[in-house]
Amino acid sequence: MNTRLTRRHFLRSSTALIALPVLESLGFRRFASAAAPAAPPKRLVFLSFGWGITNETWYPDINQPGAGYAISPGLKPLERHKGDFSIVQGLWNKYSSDGHWGSTMWLTGANRYAQPGQTFHNSISADQVAAAKFGLNTRFASLQLNGSEDGDRSGHGPGLSLAWDVSGKPIGGQKGPLEAYHRLFSRDDTPIEKQKTMLAQKRSVLDTVLENANSLKRGLGQTDTAKLDEYFQGIRDIETRLSKDEQWIGVPPAAAPLPEPKPGLAGREEIRLMYDIMVAAMQTDSTRVLTYRQPTSTLLTSLDIKVAPHDMSHYHSTMGEKLDASQRRDLAQSELLAGFIDKLKATKEADGSRLFDNLALAYGSNIRTEHNLDNCPTLLTGGGAGIKLGHNIVVSKDTPLCNAWLTLLHGLGIEAERHGDSSGMIKELVA
Amino acid sequence: MISPLSPSKYFLSAAAVLLSALGHTATAETSAPHPMMPEKHRALFKENCQRCHNEEKQKGHFRVDDLPFTITSVEVAEKWQKILNAMNSGDMPPDDEKQPEKTAKADFLDDLAHTMVAARRDLGDQNGIITMRRLNRREYGNTLRDLLGVEINVSELPSDTGVGFDTAGINLFMSGNQLEQYQSLGMEALNEAFARHAAAGEQRKLHYEAEEFTPVIQKFVAYQIDARERAERWVKAVDEAAARPENAEIVAQLRKTVKNDTLFRREWEKIPGAPSPRSFGFDKKGENDADLANDSLKAGWLEYHQYYLRQPAVDRGAYLGTETRHPAELNPKSVNVLVPFSWPAGNYIVRVRAGVTKDSPPDRHFLDFGINARQGPVLASREITGTIDDPQIVEFPLTMTRGNSDHDTRTIYFREKGAWDTNEEGIRRRSEAVKRNGIGPELALWIDWVEVERVPDAGKPVPPGIAALSIPLEDNAPALPAPELRAALERFATEAFRGVPPATKYLDRLVDLYESSRKMGDKPGLALKETLSVILASPAFLYLAEPASDEKRSPLTAAELSARLSYFLWSAPPDDTLRALAKNGDLLKPEVLAAQTERLLDDSRADSFVHAFVHQWLGMDRFDFFEVNRAAYPRFDNGTKLSAREEVYATIAYQLRHNCSLRDLLKSDYVVVDRVLANYYGLTGVQGQGFEKVTLPPDSPRGGLLGMAAVLFMGGNGDRTSPVERGAWVLRKVLHDPPPPAPANVPALTRLAGKVLTTEERLRAHQEDPQCASCHRKIDPIGFALENFDAAGQWRTEDSYQAIDAKGKPDPKTKKTWTIQAAATLHKGPAFHDFPEFRDIVCARSHDFARGFSEALLEYAIGRPLGFRDEPVLTDIIHQAEGKNLAMREFILAVVRSPEFHTK
Repeated sequence: MNTRLTRRHFLRSSTALIALPVLESLGFRRFASAAAPAAPPKRLVFLSFGWGITNETWYPDINQPGAGYAISPGLKPLERHKGDFSIVQGLWNKYSSDGHWGSTMWLTGANRYAQPGQTFHNSISADQVAAAKFGLNTRFASLQLNGSEDGDRSGHGPGLSLAWDVSGKPIGGQKGPLEAYHRLFSRDDTPIEKQKTMLAQKRSVLDTVLENANSLKRGLGQTDTAKLDEYFQGIRDIETRLSKDEQWIGVPPAAAPLPEPKPGLAGREEIRLMYDIMVAAMQTDSTRVLTYRQPTSTLLTSLDIKVAPHDMSHYHSTMGEKLDASQRRDLAQSELLAGFIDKLKATKEADGSRLFDNLALAYGSNIRTEHNLDNCPTLLTGGGAGIKLGHNIVVSKDTPLCNAWLTLLHGLGIEAERHGDSSGMIKELVA
Repeated sequence: MISPLSPSKYFLSAAAVLLSALGHTATAETSAPHPMMPEKHRALFKENCQRCHNEEKQKGHFRVDDLPFTITSVEVAEKWQKILNAMNSGDMPPDDEKQPEKTAKADFLDDLAHTMVAARRDLGDQNGIITMRRLNRREYGNTLRDLLGVEINVSELPSDTGVGFDTAGINLFMSGNQLEQYQSLGMEALNEAFARHAAAGEQRKLHYEAEEFTPVIQKFVAYQIDARERAERWVKAVDEAAARPENAEIVAQLRKTVKNDTLFRREWEKIPGAPSPRSFGFDKKGENDADLANDSLKAGWLEYHQYYLRQPAVDRGAYLGTETRHPAELNPKSVNVLVPFSWPAGNYIVRVRAGVTKDSPPDRHFLDFGINARQGPVLASREITGTIDDPQIVEFPLTMTRGNSDHDTRTIYFREKGAWDTNEEGIRRRSEAVKRNGIGPELALWIDWVEVERVPDAGKPVPPGIAALSIPLEDNAPALPAPELRAALERFATEAFRGVPPATKYLDRLVDLYESSRKMGDKPGLALKETLSVILASPAFLYLAEPASDEKRSPLTAAELSARLSYFLWSAPPDDTLRALAKNGDLLKPEVLAAQTERLLDDSRADSFVHAFVHQWLGMDRFDFFEVNRAAYPRFDNGTKLSAREEVYATIAYQLRHNCSLRDLLKSDYVVVDRVLANYYGLTGVQGQGFEKVTLPPDSPRGGLLGMAAVLFMGGNGDRTSPVERGAWVLRKVLHDPPPPAPANVPALTRLAGKVLTTEERLRAHQEDPQCASCHRKIDPIGFALENFDAAGQWRTEDSYQAIDAKGKPDPKTKKTWTIQAAATLHKGPAFHDFPEFRDIVCARSHDFARGFSEALLEYAIGRPLGFRDEPVLTDIIHQAEGKNLAMREFILAVVRSPEFHTK
């Protein structure tokens, strides 16, 4: 049954790919007419998975730095793109000490214990730093996709997506392909006048709850006020979104360049479709900053693997079926990523360049393998940030992962002074 | 999930402070001591660390000679963390430097890891401040339920678990997305409630006679026989055509391209003279008709169908068998009944009259009930004790919501327990039976009829939110005059805000919202629901606010206390009784508060507390982390798993109800089980259909947490046991000596991979490196004590191991079997020879268990992590409970009496 489903979806995905018109015929035209950009916009994508990778077979030989390295078994499916991505070895988040947290601090580099009086603290994630700038001109400032399971089984750690806001609070994400699809492409056929009335009504709703929040605030102590501030921030976020909606009123959402996903997709098909949706989101310029917190448990199920995810990451003591599971997981993830890169290369921007040429994409995890949090698996691709591609880049041991994020941000034109625990740029990454 | 307070040996000795605070009700206002690395490690530190990392040398730009042993700041903690990391990873001391003695290094790491846990807790201490708390996901769902009388699916909200208990206000976040979700979930609840209200009086009932299936299968058998006969004739005709000499060349050509006769016949069109399958009555509707003929030739499962029809009671009911054909074609596996689409949401009762077949084994006398036979979970498993001649009637309560909207989610099913939990498992059982008897699974259960009844709500109290409105709720009801509407909104908001009336301006805005919604063309009913949904997304509904000034911690008001109490013990808002006692202030009287605590615990809503608290305290989320290997543990099917999980909750609920001693969780001469689990444990004596107390035979290993299938199952991976998981769990949850979190970056032990070793041999490797030994010397012996329980919690005396070959399959040639000797010596503790002896050792440490339980309970109740300042309160709680033989309710009463519970 599985094979048939896989095949059908494969066909559908590839038809979708073939059917993709070039950007100018879609939502992009509107953008072009509004601002007539000289060059296609820059974009930033982060993809992360729980429970790390297979240490022995995922990394290229660390003693073989440079362009002449031999592709490793775990990256084999990516071989056709070998000149277009780099592996970076030696990065870590030095404050990370939770062996099951693959994503919580991946983009933030925060010290969980930095705040006296709290047992959990986080800070802004690199994608949100970019979204503050890149998000101004698109319908969605950023898109968070979250395919991860809840709780400790996910290998991602606490969080609602990869994104953390400016106060270090978790940002929610779209859960499955269907939800993401509707978020991006659901068309509102309501007449414009009515839409305006509805917007006004939504604002009145905000005013009403704000009224209630203000009276609640009276008499609260400092900590509680800080807590209630999240609610106020929530109101502000909706308000910002409504203003955005208002700006975009009468501008129909970009036509979806792919059919509505079936409900209930899980694992490999889910990831594949999420990648399609990400391509579609960029192609229609609905957003320029995207993150995806990927599922592991359902991926294994879809590969007919019975080993539990956490067990799999502890393959070292028994090898056997756990190692086999871990390696098959690596292959599946690499295959999916290779397919994603195919599409990024196949999709053209208005000026004839490829989506691939204008974005920066980082793929990895805070966990290397088992509970190891050093040499975080890191793959960088895309031509948007001027990163050196085609190399096995070995940086000095224990370089902050945030240095890599900072380098990406700078490459995209965001002149942040620092990010997280960064100590500077990584010049080896720059082409 | 919860990291209990560290043993005080990692704190600066502040015995004087502690002692003076003992027994006092006020929390210690003295400055708490800070965690420290024990002084005895100074020598090792000097010898092995300081020689390179001092003022002059500062190797790696890191110096430790000035590092204090007492951890007073995040900076100092980070330095010690770095030392711990470097030593755990084996980087330090470097290989070419002098190494510390093994045990000394293990002790050093052991103490440092624990000191770090204490330091993190100390530095993260909220100084007793309880952060205002948003209703967590569970509480939000329960609060809607109590307000509107409906249960809705709130799973789209974040689960609120991850760091500490889900009651800790500081970790309960809010976002714009969530705010919108609250409004839409509130709308969903209102829709459901209004629909329920409209249909309150409706009574519906249907009766399904299960023998309706008999003519269906009779017809199918007749068809199978007929089709097989036609197929045989067609095959004969094709074969004859193929045998004609003039076709020899074509046939030879065809034979080269196909593998077998079946595929050969698919090509009948190419053989001149071969008749079409359709002329023999086979029409595959646009596909190759030969496929249907070929399939009919096999007449799959015909013998099983005939076996079914030979049963004595097919004229009066239906037997529950296995899957044979696609269920849409024929379904002998389950009895399915569709609840008509026109029937409204509400409370239902499903009745089934069933019996077991003669001579069927008792293990197969269990009936699974659920919704959505294709992929729905098992909702309940019941033992059937009636026979076909003397059947019994079993009832299942069921709630249908607006969410039960399609065919799948409106179809209830009955199936033999475990017969077809998954396709893989069903097929495995079926082929085992075929191997045994040549036909398929013997029929063990029989159903006479099924009844589905919608029970009217009439006569039941109207939910408080609906009662508060007391206006017409129909969509097409006439619009209300503004003053009446305003009054209704005020009453509803007051009810939703747990008795606190809304401000005038807020009400003004609500009325405006209603009006503008009406102007947009919404009908009065819809406009009303829209407006009410805003109340359900307002902060006064979503937050448990306890206004207070910063300067001084002050006592809760009676109303605040009532909310704290009801959210502690019900995860739901205070009811009328509590609100009345809060209003007149009586709740502040100790004897009234105690009586109310008892009343809340007696109420069925306390189940929410038991489930939520126990789930988090004992880390039950692990129960769902993996699937059991059903080939190895066929009896641990979905129904058994359901009961095994429920045993943990049901036991503690029972013990709370009867105020048993907490010690019973360590060892008891009884278990609280249902019939499914009694059968699994090999026990008899369950009288009813639910969970109840059953006295154990004297030599039973059951009784207490350590004998529970769920606990043992969690201490493995569904396939093999994990002495490490089990040992760590016992240290964490039972002995209050939690190992520090698994350290990052410890080099893996790969040396033994692929080797065929006993569990003991494998675990011994943990003792070689001090990095491993520092924790495993404590963990492993405990895990070893439980080895007589297999990965599904059954008692065993033998275990075996097989190497995995290159294809990932176990290699039987390498199989090694050994007799389990669950004997070991606890680290710096006594030796034991078997599980019962170990259990006695654990039982003697009930004080530690009580300590861990009290910490978890207090943390859950007040919604903040505990700190050193809470020592006196904890000591007090345990002291009070010990005075009552650790009676469970005494812990809860002591928490409720404690000053922390009364302070904001």
